Amino acid sequence: MNLKEKLKILADSAKYDASCSSSGSTRKTRGGLGNVAFSGICHSFASDGRCISLLKILMTNCCIFDCKYCLNRKSNNIKRAVFTPEEVCQITMNFYRRNYIEGLFLSSGIIKSPDYTMELLIKTISLLRKKYHFGGYIHAKAIPGASEKLLKDLGLLVDRLSANVELPTLNGLKLLAPNKSENHVSKIMQYVNINQSKKYVPAGQSTQMIIGATKESDLEIMGKSANLYNDYKLKRVFYSAYISVNKDSLLPVLESPPLKRENRLYQADWLLRFYHFKVNDLLDVKNPNFNILIDPKADWALLHLNEFPKEISKCSYYDLLKIPGIGVKSAKRILSSRRFFKISFDDLKKMGVVLKRAKYFITCNGKYFMNHDYFQKEFIEKNLVLEEKTSLNKVHEQLRFFNE
Amino acid sequence: MNNGCFIYNDTFVHLLNLIYYLIQNHLKPENIKNTLYSPNLLDHVIVLKIEEDSEIIAKIITSMGSFTFRSIYYVFLSSADNKELIIYYLLLNGVKYKEKVLYHRNLKCVEKTINISRYVLHEVHKYKGFLRFKELENHILYAEIEPENDILSMVSHHFQRRLKNEYWIIKDVKRKILSIYDKKKYFFVLEENFSFETTKLSQKEIEIEELWKTFYKTIGILERKNDRCRMNFMPKKYWKYMLEMEEFL
Repeated sequence: MNLKEKLKILADSAKYDASCSSSGSTRKTRGGLGNVAFSGICHSFASDGRCISLLKILMTNCCIFDCKYCLNRKSNNIKRAVFTPEEVCQITMNFYRRNYIEGLFLSSGIIKSPDYTMELLIKTISLLRKKYHFGGYIHAKAIPGASEKLLKDLGLLVDRLSANVELPTLNGLKLLAPNKSENHVSKIMQYVNINQSKKYVPAGQSTQMIIGATKESDLEIMGKSANLYNDYKLKRVFYSAYISVNKDSLLPVLESPPLKRENRLYQADWLLRFYHFKVNDLLDVKNPNFNILIDPKADWALLHLNEFPKEISKCSYYDLLKIPGIGVKSAKRILSSRRFFKISFDDLKKMGVVLKRAKYFITCNGKYFMNHDYFQKEFIEKNLVLEEKTSLNKVHEQLRFFNE
Repeated sequence: MNNGCFIYNDTFVHLLNLIYYLIQNHLKPENIKNTLYSPNLLDHVIVLKIEEDSEIIAKIITSMGSFTFRSIYYVFLSSADNKELIIYYLLLNGVKYKEKVLYHRNLKCVEKTINISRYVLHEVHKYKGFLRFKELENHILYAEIEPENDILSMVSHHFQRRLKNEYWIIKDVKRKILSIYDKKKYFFVLEENFSFETTKLSQKEIEIEELWKTFYKTIGILERKNDRCRMNFMPKKYWKYMLEMEEFL
């Protein structure tokens, strides 16, 4: 099999992993080729609109596991391939020199045993770092069930190390990934969290959950995310809309991947990490799933309309963050500017506030954007839904997350 | 001498010196342009003899902060019309508001400075990712870019750190300037003063380009195809120099 064919097979098997980011690392390099950019850099965008920043490949798509949702499961009759460490290094170096990529994302199907597979990853990445003096970004997948010693060795070579939770509940995992143990994944996360430093996994860890392969509600998914952020200080949880790659009686049959739901989860994830929301603010047992028509923040605001409209010239930073259409950056801009002049609706627009959403929830110097009689839930809701519908074609399903 | 069109000698430092002179002497320019400017009939062109003194940079940074200074520099690199006037008005207000000047977002010059400098930085960031090198026969890496703003120096700065052990050349196609890196530093040369062969590629170049195109095509998920989203993040103007996009043009 020639190199091109191998690359095709092993990129194809890796593409379902949502993680693309190359940001957050502060690793210093001396000599050699390449460095890391703290903000991360996207080098291209694929036909699905997702960013390409890393050479995302598997070491091999051979696997001794039989996870129902996975293209590479043992029982699938597909073409299999294995890279040699030297081949991975060659492709990475040649792509990096030409500025095609920001670095390498290396994962693998499990061959022989978790330890054996992990040793193969370490051998490859160590060759890349030590023989080829590669200084760019490396994101490696830790193999669940591998020994702690190997986890330590791999973490010292890479910028980011991650293990995928895949399914938010134990039941889902037992059902679809009978060979995987939740225990193994949380062990990895715990170890990385305790040992993380400037030298060990400097860009931190992330994980991924598949959305829509099992019956979990958004409440369960977000609850799991919140725990992961709290317990292991994860940098990111990625949500990946389930795509029916396999036929199996245990799997749902979906016509198209639940992209809108995935989008809502990302929006809510943002609210948890940067907007001081708690899962319980957004969802509860009575309403365990997000409103598909309205984004989680606007939905929350409509349910708490008694706290609105908020006065732009007076309300606190935390209150500004609760206003739909105002983000972290625009909230900070408002704070820094309002000491110097009276902010008008027009000024807000210049500061990057999405006024067509925010205007329903604010007053500027005591003034509402129209007659105050219109400050009613039905009216606002109708307009917000309408606005989202008309912009639906413009807005992309997959958000690219620039800042981490 | 009021209401004239003042001419500076094309350098950033000279522009700053001129503007400070205008401010100190309470001269209100109708326009400020570089030497390439061809005046129209109504223009009252004034060329002042002003020394080019780089002390001015430290002076601005001390009084208005380095963030403000950098923003002004990015405006200077931009291709915005009347960018010199925007810088003039910003510095004029800077004298009054000091390091807080950029918080006055209701001022037109502040709004423009913020937007233009953000736009310039955005373009630099895009090129850090979208620029593509080809390896020439002699192992020199060569890339062409066509940026709207004059960002060759900022892009070069990035690649100086990233590809420090390589020889590379980046060409700004629009401005006909080359940035040449000799493993120590980069310097700029006019295209007309430097001829070299860019068509002879290294032996394995085609093979590697093929590998990259294969990877690019494979990594997109068919079920999630979204051309509009791709176009938003990677507008068509960049495609011309990206080998993986050539066939989509």
